Amino acid sequence: MMNLFRTLFRKELLDASRDKRSVMAGLYYALGTPVLMCLLFSVLLKQLSASDELLISIDNADAAPALVQYLANNDIRQGEGADAKAIRLAVSTDFQQQLQQGRPATVIIDADRADDQLRTAIQRLERELGRYNSEIATLRLMARGIDPQLMQPIDVQMQDQATPDSRGGTFLGIASLSIILTLFYAAMNLAIDTSAGERERNSLTLLLSQPLSSLQLVLAKIAAIACFSMLGLVVILLVSKFAYGMVPWQQLGFNISLNTDFMLFTLLVGLPLALLSASLQVMVSFVAKSFKEAQTYVTMVLLVPVALSMVTTYNIAPEYLQWLPIAAQQQAMIGFLKGSAIAMPQLLVSSLLTLAIFAACSYASSRLLKSEKVVFGL
Amino acid sequence: MIKVTDLHKKIGQVQALNGLSFAAHNGTITGLLGPNGAGKTTCLRTLFGLLKADSGSAEIDGLNVVSQSRQAKQQLGLFPDPCGLYERLTPREYVQFFAQLNGMAGKDAKDATDEVLSLLKMQDIADRRCQGFSQGQRMKTALAQAIVHKPTNIVLDEPTRGLDVMSTRVLRDLLLMLKQQGHCVLFSSHVMQEVAALCDQVVVIAAGRVVAQGSPAELCLRTGKTNLEDAFISLIGTDEGIAA
Repeated sequence: MMNLFRTLFRKELLDASRDKRSVMAGLYYALGTPVLMCLLFSVLLKQLSASDELLISIDNADAAPALVQYLANNDIRQGEGADAKAIRLAVSTDFQQQLQQGRPATVIIDADRADDQLRTAIQRLERELGRYNSEIATLRLMARGIDPQLMQPIDVQMQDQATPDSRGGTFLGIASLSIILTLFYAAMNLAIDTSAGERERNSLTLLLSQPLSSLQLVLAKIAAIACFSMLGLVVILLVSKFAYGMVPWQQLGFNISLNTDFMLFTLLVGLPLALLSASLQVMVSFVAKSFKEAQTYVTMVLLVPVALSMVTTYNIAPEYLQWLPIAAQQQAMIGFLKGSAIAMPQLLVSSLLTLAIFAACSYASSRLLKSEKVVFGL
Repeated sequence: MIKVTDLHKKIGQVQALNGLSFAAHNGTITGLLGPNGAGKTTCLRTLFGLLKADSGSAEIDGLNVVSQSRQAKQQLGLFPDPCGLYERLTPREYVQFFAQLNGMAGKDAKDATDEVLSLLKMQDIADRRCQGFSQGQRMKTALAQAIVHKPTNIVLDEPTRGLDVMSTRVLRDLLLMLKQQGHCVLFSSHVMQEVAALCDQVVVIAAGRVVAQGSPAELCLRTGKTNLEDAFISLIGTDEGIAA
């Protein structure tokens, strides 16, 4: 039993390792993605920490000199040109008069709220206007001999628990997403080649005519592919370590550093996922009737792990998703990087689920190989 | 010894095997002769357990290919059509892999591989990857794979296709040697010369059933013809799909 498996496994490894194109196609992802992410993060960080000055156009500024001065003190100024945001603050003509009479004086913010690039700028302008509002209100109350604290029935105090490392949530999400998806992309070409490819090259029928069980054959294939997935994982972890080391994290006050402990942890939680990835892609490739069809189907199926990983990254996953494969493992990786507690029950359940799916896919593939339709691609 | 009894198999709308029965004995070369689409390949695939017969049975050395499939397959060497080579492996790796699959341990498999590679005079290409091999080199590699584990029964599907004269002679000598050693050799073909020159027994198949069985001389005698080709045409009643 074991001898046969070893023979099959060795042949799969040898055959796959000589398929340079497929192996490299998988590794390009592992090599390229961290570099790409590193560039992306650098650009994002630059944008986030860009100069604090906010330039907008202010209509009728002469009518509200105090307000304009207040905004200027907070780096919001009248400005034009490329740096100016498409936000117009219109001061009403009777602004001064209304203010003097203690009646609401109108200012209009004219901007496109749906424009993502303007959103934070608009919020900042609103916040400053709100502060100006309450400052004037406080002065008015004091002038009438009323304690301004009456206007503040609740004193909200925020005690920020965030450690510097935990602030980079989205960055950590994206980084861990790119790492986890390697397990799927590094396996893709090899999985298709060893199943649909083997059938198209007519060696599958010869193999199945030998004294072996189709389950042994399938497991040997899956084990070999999983080895290459894990190789991809090792590569992306090493490249990520260096690439993320070059991102100027300090600008945001946190840091993503992939230490050896994290790498070992990721390899451990990644192993069941590598088996799932290989078994799933082999099964899908066998279901397809040809090599090309397999490529299409596998690409479609890979949207599922991508989706699971995405919702985790952007933290929009409903509670039950956190128990599912990929999502839970990624959550654990993020937790590990943040230095916060890892949700062990979720991780254990999802790892068991991952192995269960691996077992189910392997068994299904071995059943498929007993079907004449599948073996001869009818 | 290979024995098939009353095999029926329908593939799609086609009744590929329709009550096929014959036996191929040890120490004999048996030729499966039939026009294209007669059911030769279907019959062989059923023998390897790749196709399941709708009814009837196939036995190898008395072992049923369905219920005792693993033991039965161990007694079987296969030369399939197409060859099913691994382009990225060398003949040595390829042949050794199949030796191990058939239960030979590392050292034995290695020795057996060396032996069969020199038997087929393949040393010069033994460590080159199969990619880019000529048809003859492919056939030899496949043949080495089929006999490396010294199975009692050797089944060859159209073994002479694409071989040049030299290779055909090598193959012929090899089959005769296997026969001498007491193996049961079964091959399918539609090339008359090959069958006439080699076979002790000819099983003529048409439309999924055996229409005649006997030595080439017997078949000629039975039909009153002087050569096997005429005898064959007279037996199946048409000259469709026959290579001279």
